[in-house]
Amino acid sequence: MMGFGKYLLYRLFNAALILFFVVLLTSTLFVKLADVTLQSQIQETVQAEWNAYAQHHPGGHVNQSEFIKKRTQYWIEYYGLNKPYRTRVWETTIKTLKFDFGQTRQTIFGTRDAAKIIKVALPRTILLFTTAQIIVILIGILLGVKCAQKPGSTLDRAISILAMVTASLPMWWFGMVMILIFAFKLGWFPVNSFPDPNLTGLAHVKDVLWRMVLPVVTIVTVLFGGWAWTTRNIMIGTMQEDFIMAARAKGVPERKVIYGHALRAAAPPIVTMTIFSLLSSFGGAIITEAVFNWPGMGRLYWIALQQNETTLIVGLTYISTLLYLIGMILADLTYALLDPRVKVGASASM
Amino acid sequence: MRWVDMKDSLKNFWNDFRREKSGMVGLFLLVLLIFTAVAAPLITSPDIPQRWKHYWLENPQNAPPTWSNYLSSVRKAPNVVYTYKDLHIKESKDASGNTVYSFEIPYKYDYQVPVKDIVIFNLASNASSPNDAPYISIVLKRPVQDGYSSVVPLMNETVSSNATIQLSTNPQVRMNVLRWLKQNNVHVDPVLEFQLRATMDTMTILFSQIQPDIQDMITNPKPLHGTYTLLVNVTAKPGISVDFSNIKVVFMGRTCGLMGTDDRGRDIWAGLVWGSRVSLTIGLAVAVLSVLIGILYGVTSAYLGGWKDEFMQRFNEFMASIPTLPILILLGVYFGGHIMLWQLVLLLVAFGWVGIAKVARSMALQIKEQTYIEAAKALGAGTGRIVFKHIVPQLLPYAFAQIALGVPGAILSEASLSFLGLGDPSKVTWGQMLNEAQRAGAAVNGYWWEVIPPGLAITLVGLTFVLLGVALDKVLNPRLRRI
Repeated sequence: MMGFGKYLLYRLFNAALILFFVVLLTSTLFVKLADVTLQSQIQETVQAEWNAYAQHHPGGHVNQSEFIKKRTQYWIEYYGLNKPYRTRVWETTIKTLKFDFGQTRQTIFGTRDAAKIIKVALPRTILLFTTAQIIVILIGILLGVKCAQKPGSTLDRAISILAMVTASLPMWWFGMVMILIFAFKLGWFPVNSFPDPNLTGLAHVKDVLWRMVLPVVTIVTVLFGGWAWTTRNIMIGTMQEDFIMAARAKGVPERKVIYGHALRAAAPPIVTMTIFSLLSSFGGAIITEAVFNWPGMGRLYWIALQQNETTLIVGLTYISTLLYLIGMILADLTYALLDPRVKVGASASM
Repeated sequence: MRWVDMKDSLKNFWNDFRREKSGMVGLFLLVLLIFTAVAAPLITSPDIPQRWKHYWLENPQNAPPTWSNYLSSVRKAPNVVYTYKDLHIKESKDASGNTVYSFEIPYKYDYQVPVKDIVIFNLASNASSPNDAPYISIVLKRPVQDGYSSVVPLMNETVSSNATIQLSTNPQVRMNVLRWLKQNNVHVDPVLEFQLRATMDTMTILFSQIQPDIQDMITNPKPLHGTYTLLVNVTAKPGISVDFSNIKVVFMGRTCGLMGTDDRGRDIWAGLVWGSRVSLTIGLAVAVLSVLIGILYGVTSAYLGGWKDEFMQRFNEFMASIPTLPILILLGVYFGGHIMLWQLVLLLVAFGWVGIAKVARSMALQIKEQTYIEAAKALGAGTGRIVFKHIVPQLLPYAFAQIALGVPGAILSEASLSFLGLGDPSKVTWGQMLNEAQRAGAAVNGYWWEVIPPGLAITLVGLTFVLLGVALDKVLNPRLRRI
């Protein structure tokens, strides 16, 4: 049997290994891609250099092909293209792990440093996503408990149908429909969620909140049904346990039975489910951002794909993998903290 | 399992399944979807996937569906296409031996907003020099409006072979219409006339009542309802023949087809029908393969036990912690911005088997300890026999439910990647239709017919399999039955 500390260490090691492999994979793929772009870039630079040189030294005695050869050599060494492929993959891997992703070709969010661009976008994504997720969890637990109290009621049926429908629709498409209805048709909310850059202070906060409404409502609407359904299923299982009957027999008020006894006992699986559903909805939420033009990670993904910014893609992959892994470890940790019975990994108990 | 047992258990299963209302709805939807996918070439036409890459010139761009007229107070003219069959071209000789081809198109107009344009495509001739080119004259006969002439000469011109004649923006047509208006005593301000020669909305003028001042006809047009006739004469010199076989005369509508058109004039209905193929293929292929691999992996892991089991479980955990979407995007970019359909299936399977393997393993671990397995072992059954005859069949109910439940995820992944522009460009997919809608700003401009139907289609397919999966789960795994 593994102790909890040891188990955590194992999970951390596992996460680090995955992160390393993912970065190694991105480097392997993108060093190859970068070769092609760099070669043509060098060619262009050298040609431009020659043109400038020929203009400033008319009738100079330097041979054109020799000049070009020398400068090309210089740039190839500058970018390290003369080193073997393996070495360059390794160097890129180490650099990426240190959050050094390189430069993008075009300026995004006022800078060309990919790491800085992501640094600007990440808090916005976290803001949008956490806000939505907190609302989802609150509504989901409340509705789930209500359903579990009266299985087969109208509310229960409505929630299970809603859960089925929302499980099969793309969140980003629902975002487009929301824009169509509430921004285009009714004009209640702005079409574009990009905050007004001219505002500062309280006005800025108000503006951001105003523009967050539609994306948040989209994420919440798509997720809360499934969430309530999961809570309901776990709760129904717990409500049939003996200790609930014992509590009721003791004369504990029903409210307390549900929220004090049952929900507490059902908390660990509910929390793990939340974090996992959170992680799996992350992808959809990111694309939803792109639909609303919310300037977060998703918008960056959209821009990077449209403009073929490979350095940005590498950075985004790294950061989202990192976030994902942190989420996984958090899920494990909270599960262990909430449920004193679990002091070991799930795999060891099987 | 013997055939008789199988038949019996299938019968039992069907009896149970029939009672699940949601399952029956799912089954009905599934049959409908499969029918749509199979009959796609018959419902629309077989060349849609090839044509999908190009602009559809004979359709208006971003036009809403024709039935949207019933929802709105303003009725807009629908798109009408006339081909060779519809035109009944008459051939005759004139005094100087030229061949005269003529046809007329009657057009009933009872809308508030007229067509955008009248366009003639693919009028081909074998004339080699401009001097020999056939001569076309086009006249529009309007319904009678008291006191005004109803015949509008539009065009008298030679046409080069395969030319596209757009009446609405043609300078000669604009001049002729202005001249006709002036002959009918319509006041045309000289400064305005100069402008109108370049910018006039010819069709609105042609399809509305004459008013004393052209300014009123532009700002407040009153539609002139009735039957119009477009008269076309093509005169060819002796020895020159005109080929009408590919001709298309299009009354370029403001509404078009069953589901409208997108920003390239493509028929959204055709895209919807053809998209069902990709959606079903991806969904089913990924779900079936993932479940097969997952079950085999889980059962093998459980059966082998010991360090091999441990190793396989570590690998499983490793795979489970990899975030799918970022990796798929990464690979998509590496493959040159597009993931082919089969590549996508393989990639989704590579990530899809993991969860199933975990459950399959724990189920197999329970089954492994049953006494009948022990008995089989004692009778000398080999590993293969025990795994495939005794363990795997027990997992089949779970497998079927998981196949159905796994389909929506695969479809959503494909749609998401296509939406990001990483889809297979040789296929018509709903995700790509939404990608194009997003890039053309369909949601922001209110082109609901480009946004809502593809997403609804994705949802419908997903829902079909969720309904089936939940029902299968209830019927096949009675232990999981909940109130």
